[in-house]
Amino acid sequence: MKFAGLVVKSVRRNKRRTTLTVLSVAIAVFLFSSLRAVLDGFKAVSAASSSTRVVTLRSTSMIFSMPTSHEQTIRSTPGVEDVTYANWFGGIYKDPKNFFGQFAIDPVSYLRMYPEVILSDEDKRAFIEDRTGCIVGDGLAKKYGFKVGDKIVLQPGIPVYGSQDYEFTVRGIYRPGASNIDHQSMMFHWKYADERSTIKGQIGWFVARVSNPDQATKVALAIDQQFANSAYETKTDTEQAFTAQFASMLGNLNLLLGSVALAVVITTLFVAGNTMAMSVRERTTEIAVMRTLGFRAATIFSLVVGEGFLVALAGGVLGALFARIIVNAEALGLSGGFIPAFGVNNFNVLVGLGLSAFIGIAASLIPATMASRLKIVDALRRVA
Amino acid sequence: MALIELRDVTKTYRRDAEEIGVLERVTISVAEGDFLALMGPSGSGKSTLLNLLAGIDHPTRGQITVGDTDIGRLSEGALAAWRARHIGFIFQLYNLIPVLTAFENVELPLLLTSLSKKQRRDHVMTALGIVGLTERASHYPRQLSGGQEQRVAIARAVVTDPTVLLADEPTGDLDAKSGAEVLTLLQRLNREYKKTIVMVTHDPHAAERASRVLYLEKGTLAAQQPVGVGVMS
Repeated sequence: MKFAGLVVKSVRRNKRRTTLTVLSVAIAVFLFSSLRAVLDGFKAVSAASSSTRVVTLRSTSMIFSMPTSHEQTIRSTPGVEDVTYANWFGGIYKDPKNFFGQFAIDPVSYLRMYPEVILSDEDKRAFIEDRTGCIVGDGLAKKYGFKVGDKIVLQPGIPVYGSQDYEFTVRGIYRPGASNIDHQSMMFHWKYADERSTIKGQIGWFVARVSNPDQATKVALAIDQQFANSAYETKTDTEQAFTAQFASMLGNLNLLLGSVALAVVITTLFVAGNTMAMSVRERTTEIAVMRTLGFRAATIFSLVVGEGFLVALAGGVLGALFARIIVNAEALGLSGGFIPAFGVNNFNVLVGLGLSAFIGIAASLIPATMASRLKIVDALRRVA
Repeated sequence: MALIELRDVTKTYRRDAEEIGVLERVTISVAEGDFLALMGPSGSGKSTLLNLLAGIDHPTRGQITVGDTDIGRLSEGALAAWRARHIGFIFQLYNLIPVLTAFENVELPLLLTSLSKKQRRDHVMTALGIVGLTERASHYPRQLSGGQEQRVAIARAVVTDPTVLLADEPTGDLDAKSGAEVLTLLQRLNREYKKTIVMVTHDPHAAERASRVLYLEKGTLAAQQPVGVGVMS
């Protein structure tokens, strides 16, 4: 501890350089924590996905629809207990920037299939009974101030739903019972959208509950085989794979975000390492003097590493705290639809701090070795 | 009895294939309480000799003993600990750490001891008192004159109460008045505090303050005579 003052004094020697190094580490930790939070959000959704549900899409692409007649075929597949369906609506609420997920669903079967959509019995009844009724997530209600009884007008965003505005009445505000349920989405009657659709009886995806999760893959295969060589071939997968497919629309997120994070960390490592090396080089004589006074090579090594650690940790604290405060999908208006709610949690903060400590120590290893191996006489002669 | 013994000390440097001799079979004894001045022209090997005595350089051949310790047998780590305990080094350019106050500079060698914070403070204030700079304890080197900086450096050298004080051209960067003050201080440390001092200097006036002067020329000992007897050549 008695050397702590010495380390702090050294860190404060060149305030501008220290500040810039702290900021570079802060940015690296900020980005790392934020990217981890996004990945964690997708993983949480995947983890919360049911193992008893399988999702059926058109084999060509999820943007193409299927006829309603598929429902009966799927329902009659051995191992299937229940079926529901939904469509992506893509409407505009006042302004295109007010993006949130809107799903046209069959209320009865959908709410039966997803008990994680938590709604009071009274609201559920009101929603089911009102053809133009809708339910909204508590996050969406908070964001736009929606209350039960309010009217929501959506302008169709996809040509198939016509050009006339759709008016809905809020019949309930649900809250998600698991991470796979987005709390910033809106659900309404599929029939209401279908009535005004230019192509009737179209379904975006079916969700089937299988009686035995171990048989889910087998049932999925059986469903697809029934539509093989038809005009509407399907691709059925578990809900987890379905979630991952949405994520994969953004590319290989793991690889992409991981690569960005790694590049940022490595760049910062070089920046911090170069700064530390520069700082040590400038102090060659001082280090030689300290060695003359009796400081051991190991003590000098520790002092330089301590300096790197302190600077990087300061950056880490700054970056992690900023990430914790400002990186929140809800606050940034990024969640909704298929983008999961995400935020930097305490674990991500700790990982960020650990990363900054690693940067500090790793970046100062070479300068610290240089400093500790300094030949005292040569170093003193440079200025003598 | 001799406190410092150099026996047949030779130092050579290798530059590419060429071997350059700096010291050649130098033998010196310094008694406890002695104030020895080492004089000689540039390149005569006097600073190298001081570095060898401080244990920051190693002889090519020969033996250096300080007290009971043959410093050539010590490992790097042990040598560092030995320096911390037995050597006080005064540099020509003071070499204070610019981001530390005078107090903190003097305290620096004490950080290597097991003294408490209060004990360290007492020692530092005593050392600063000896050099007459207690009121400058909170000043940074840039706020001090050259003479004051060198006095702080002397306080740093004596704060651990070392066995030997080694001074490399301590007045070389000072004006005549400040140089005289520093030499008076060294003399006082030798006479009042019985410190054994080995000082390298170019300056015959500085050498006059020593009790004994040795001349080095081309790496060998040229003469040894009491101060005041034809020193000013």
